[in-house]
Amino acid sequence: MQVVSLRSDAHAESEPLSGRKPASAMIEIDHVSQRFQTSGKQSHLALSDINLTIEDGAFVSILGPSGCGKSTLLYIVGGFVQPTDGVAKVKGKAITGPGPDRGPVFQEFALFPWKNVLGNVMYGMRQQGMKKSEADARGRKLLEMVGLKGYENFYPKELSGGMKQRVAIARTLAYDPAVLLMDEPFGALDAHTRTRLQNDLLDIWDTQRKTVLFVTHSVEEAVYLSDKVIVMSRSPGSIKEIVDIDLPRPRKRADLLLDARFQKYIVDIEKMIDDGKDHL
Amino acid sequence: MTVRGVLKTLSPLFACIGLLCVWQIASLRLDTESFPTALESIKAIPSILGDKGSLLNILDSIRRMTIGLVLAVMFAIPLGLLMGRIKAVAAFFNPLMMIIYPVPKAALMPIIMLWMGVGDVSKILVIFLGVSLPIIYHAFQGSKAVEEKMLWSGAAMGMSAPMRMLRIVLPAALPEILTGCRTGLVLALITMITSEMIARQSGAGNILFNSLDMAQYDTVFAMILIIGAMGIIFDAAFEKLRLSLVRWSQPRDDMPLSFT
Repeated sequence: MQVVSLRSDAHAESEPLSGRKPASAMIEIDHVSQRFQTSGKQSHLALSDINLTIEDGAFVSILGPSGCGKSTLLYIVGGFVQPTDGVAKVKGKAITGPGPDRGPVFQEFALFPWKNVLGNVMYGMRQQGMKKSEADARGRKLLEMVGLKGYENFYPKELSGGMKQRVAIARTLAYDPAVLLMDEPFGALDAHTRTRLQNDLLDIWDTQRKTVLFVTHSVEEAVYLSDKVIVMSRSPGSIKEIVDIDLPRPRKRADLLLDARFQKYIVDIEKMIDDGKDHL
Repeated sequence: MTVRGVLKTLSPLFACIGLLCVWQIASLRLDTESFPTALESIKAIPSILGDKGSLLNILDSIRRMTIGLVLAVMFAIPLGLLMGRIKAVAAFFNPLMMIIYPVPKAALMPIIMLWMGVGDVSKILVIFLGVSLPIIYHAFQGSKAVEEKMLWSGAAMGMSAPMRMLRIVLPAALPEILTGCRTGLVLALITMITSEMIARQSGAGNILFNSLDMAQYDTVFAMILIIGAMGIIFDAAFEKLRLSLVRWSQPRDDMPLSFT
């Protein structure tokens, strides 16, 4: 096992991921800091000098205690939040706002409740100027892929949490973003649904090979899904370690749970997160 | 439909009949000239609606009410939505609204009449003022409550800010806006009658008070019934429209609060 310890300024050392063609950088985060104004004249440093490169097609998780700024980092890449300092780039271009090259999936689903399932999935495609018949066909295909065939005419309020998140994933995949930004997408789901969605996400990722930036607070989830796990610490939010997860793909959960390497990754990463707490 | 279902559908009708029965009995017991029975009052309705002058007066009232309401909706919804999303707009209009909100709009009628006469303009303006505020308030609340992540999802799809306002904030806030409009509709009827009671020149309120002056009590009560029926019909029609627009947000087995 190789736990590559990197300082937060040592992003240049990150090497191409094993088993894949040498990839180009999809996301570059360059000396990014984020300061929030709190009440009065106080301010809170949510992110401190983050440097990170994420290769095209990589599945990267961000892990850390709550309040470490992991979601903020994701929002900066999404263009929803402007960093106080530094630059975030996608495909070499500085991010100035949200765009269809980066598709978000939120824990809260954020579906459009006035649209039915198919309407939600078609929304982004129609926004991109795709013909209705074309968007309709692609929408149905995507819904079949996420296991929601037959639910096209349901409204979000009629769906369970897991189904809502499937719709949200299909809605984002529909406009074909190069990067998927997932903000604790399975955090609100029960354990069983969560496992099924993790497996389905891996299947989808396997066929579409999008770059995925995945925020979670579950160590197991991060190790199971990712090529790389970024461990963050808080106050101020900064990158503590970057761990390459060198486990063969396609991964099977049942096999991995018995795999000593998988278990060791989890234990090691949990220790890293606990170390951070001692300093508080 | 089950017996239960039939009973549930007809329950407003039973309430109506019950109230009329209580009225009938009370008026027979009291037996004063100024309190005609329910039957006498109902009998007076056809003669009012059959009279061309009265009918034109009532239609005139409805016309003013509609104009005031439509103008208020067109003004209040965009303003409320903008207030909910843009802090500067809210900061400017909120204190203004706080002052205007509790003032009874009919109390402004004398000044408005002084400046604009007793005609349509004054009455429509009062209706507009009375109706605007609840709609602004509800549109504001609805737009403020729109989930940030929903807007972010739209932005990621390439929607511009005005587009998100129109295609996300407006539909997301629509249930709340329509709740405001329903209040507004009833308020429009109230201000309509009030304005005609103050500026007595034409309209349903004018007929009502003229017949009171002339001690035609059956006409007075018949007019109250007509105006009440108007309110119920408008409200029921609006509820139908509202439900068809926001069925996606309705919880199932909702207790009906109208005659739909």
